[in-house]
Amino acid sequence: MLLFFHIPALTTTLLTVIIAIVTLLGIMIRPFRWNEAIFALSGAALLLIIGLISPVNAFFTLYKDWNIFFFFLGMMSLSALAETAGLFDWLAAQAARLAGGSTRRLFLNTFLLGTMISMVLSNDATALILTPIVYTLVTRLRLPVLPFLFACTFIADTASFLLPVSNPINIIILTRFQLDLWTFLRLLLLPSILVISMNIGMFFLLYRNQIKGRFDSKRLPSTAESIKHPAYFRYTCSVLIIVAVAYITASALQIPLSLVSLSGALLLLSGALKWRQITMKGLGGQISWSIFGFIAGMFVVVQAVEGTGLTEQFGQLLLHLSGGTSFGAVMVGTAGAAVGTNIINNVPMAVVLRSSLAGVQHIAPAARLGFIAATIFGCDLGPNLTTVGSLATVLWLLILRRRDLDVSGLDYFKVGILVTPLMLIAGALLIWLLLL
Amino acid sequence: MRVLCCLDGTNIEQISTTVSTMLQGENLTLALVYVIDQGPRGEMERQRERFFRSPTMKPRHKEQMQQAENANAQDILDEGTRYLSDATSFIREGNPEREIVRLAEEWSADLVVLCPRSTQSDGPTIGPKSVGHTARFVVDHAPCPVLLVRKRSRTST
Repeated sequence: MLLFFHIPALTTTLLTVIIAIVTLLGIMIRPFRWNEAIFALSGAALLLIIGLISPVNAFFTLYKDWNIFFFFLGMMSLSALAETAGLFDWLAAQAARLAGGSTRRLFLNTFLLGTMISMVLSNDATALILTPIVYTLVTRLRLPVLPFLFACTFIADTASFLLPVSNPINIIILTRFQLDLWTFLRLLLLPSILVISMNIGMFFLLYRNQIKGRFDSKRLPSTAESIKHPAYFRYTCSVLIIVAVAYITASALQIPLSLVSLSGALLLLSGALKWRQITMKGLGGQISWSIFGFIAGMFVVVQAVEGTGLTEQFGQLLLHLSGGTSFGAVMVGTAGAAVGTNIINNVPMAVVLRSSLAGVQHIAPAARLGFIAATIFGCDLGPNLTTVGSLATVLWLLILRRRDLDVSGLDYFKVGILVTPLMLIAGALLIWLLLL
Repeated sequence: MRVLCCLDGTNIEQISTTVSTMLQGENLTLALVYVIDQGPRGEMERQRERFFRSPTMKPRHKEQMQQAENANAQDILDEGTRYLSDATSFIREGNPEREIVRLAEEWSADLVVLCPRSTQSDGPTIGPKSVGHTARFVVDHAPCPVLLVRKRSRTST
């Protein structure tokens, strides 16, 4: 309870930094495969117990970010309820039908479907729900699974800055920096289309041999197999179309997006309960509750560090490295965010960067915008560099490889390290051009 | 002679032709194996962790994937037995190279027959690195001779 004693500012800073670093190391290394939330919450609890952040400050930190917590809840619920309706299975089967037996066209359709799902339901839905469905589909079609898995994994992140709702990271950053929809689209829509096209083009080149040939359309699942309850399915489609329009309207009017996602989820839930497609317990089981603890813990830890003035100094360092120009801001912001997301995962990195950038004073408006757009861009696309989440996981995979075990994760890493830097450079350059 | 033929869904014609031409006159006991590679599943589990989810996939997804994998494996082995009718079939799950070596030991194979890499692979079919990691591991670790069946290349001398 150091709050009750007078202690030098240096000691307070040192203790806060040590706790923050240990928390981040815990999240990176995850000893005993413990959940990240344990480390984030332990760090926050320790800071509170020692008195390095006051309970009131911690409370208001979380209160200010209510939109993020509710957005996560709405987003996960929407995806889970849409999946219950069989929407993802149906969309994947339709994508295969539209391919007309051509593996190349199916590969392209997988990218387009992933883009569409990421855009409206966020990258989580593509990576976590669409991927196993596509795996099942291509296994049934007797096609090589890895190119399609890569396609889902990559496009989830590559298409996650088309709209503010396409990635929760965008909401984390935009809650602090109020970018209107027009500015968001002006700076990120074209880079998004560019990197999506690059992603598709490079994958077609990389997997040209594996995706040639045709598949037997008779092996595709029937519509009845995907859709268990047609009325609920139709209702889900209608609600999701309304949600998509509402997301864009709310972004334009700067209405908190969590209100849209939660309202959409409640509408879907009422339909699901009416047609007995899900129970409250069933829905609860499909939501990752630990993520709320993780984010809350991270917010409190970073707020404590912000209180020491260190994040502001980090922001000033970024500004210094950028030379105060919009070009420097975009390049430093993109590189910093992309590297950081691969060391400590993109959620903590986004929280650290938004805090750092908020502290930066005396910066040209174009450079400031450049930093914000680059942070979103780097934190969203950056994870594709290693795809397995963090440097610690890559190192672990490398150790396994040395022990003569074949690890597919390393194959992902090889593709990521080959493809992602090109997309990052091209996208960052385009963001800079759009700032001019 | 007990011959274990390793199928990958694309190589049955090559393997059956080799077995019936090169090993004719031998008293053969044949087995076909198809290994359901668990690597992609492991990758999906790692992806889940990246998004702060439990690595365990949803039961519904797991079940669908399992069904598709088993149906696919059965399909490939059925196709195999159309070419090599007396062969015994094995479906294994796990790391393909390790499962092949393990089965070769368990089944007391005298010869393992497989292709250096899948025909759908993007790797070279001749020259350096033309032997994929699965075949390389089997060559290194199999408890018996290994026959690598490569497609005839017009450019080879």
